[in-house]
Amino acid sequence: MRSIQTTISGFSRYRGREGHWSFILHRLTGLGTLLFLIIHILDTSTVYFFPSLYSHAIDIYRSTPFMIGEIFLVFSIIFHGVNGARIALFDLYLTSRWKTPSQRSSARWTLVIAILLWLPAAAMMMRSMLVNNFNL
Amino acid sequence: MNQTIDSPKVTPNYEAVAWKWMRYSGLLLIPLAWGHVLIQDVVVGVHAIDLDYVAMRWATLGWRVYDFLLLAFAFAHGVNGLRQVVHDFIKDERRMRTVSWLLLILWIVVSLIGAAAIIGGVRIE
Repeated sequence: MRSIQTTISGFSRYRGREGHWSFILHRLTGLGTLLFLIIHILDTSTVYFFPSLYSHAIDIYRSTPFMIGEIFLVFSIIFHGVNGARIALFDLYLTSRWKTPSQRSSARWTLVIAILLWLPAAAMMMRSMLVNNFNL
Repeated sequence: MNQTIDSPKVTPNYEAVAWKWMRYSGLLLIPLAWGHVLIQDVVVGVHAIDLDYVAMRWATLGWRVYDFLLLAFAFAHGVNGLRQVVHDFIKDERRMRTVSWLLLILWIVVSLIGAAAIIGGVRIE
């Protein structure tokens, strides 16, 4: 418990700027995606174990709160992928360039690229939500 | 005299292998997970997905293989990531070992459930 308090207070006190923020966002998006992934594996498994339950699971995903959640899930997966590619690139191939200035600019670019990839997907999902849930 | 060794020979331990594996599996997951999300969430959409849709998709062996790879790599990547996050919060070695075992069991059980569904396919009652 104390280590969690230290982490939360440390998160606000540590001033690592871009590298620090992308670290936090990478963890949050990863944990969020994993939480959904566990639920998603189990609900999809009902097609084999309890086929009659599958439509109930899908009905929940079709509700407005879950469709909004889905839009944020897609952001999480896009950001985690772009930032993960950045980490893998520097860790595996550009090891000599793990320096503060290149980290700061690459972390900024990561967020820009992730948002640009996300916006069209978010627009299409928003449209689907308005058409199906609000008859627009 | 100081000497810089460019590539020191170190036998990688478990954590070193896991560290590398997270990066390579992550790179593989970019096309796999993004492709899955683009098709199912963005283009098809949850309103077009039902039992018949899953049955139609899994009638193609290639999609079952795709989903199997996604299940294997994404879930293993995710659970190992969770293990690394948890490791930052639990300093007691014995307790960490217990958590690692619990995560391993969770990973095996959920993976097997998912794999059974992909292999078994849609059961029409």
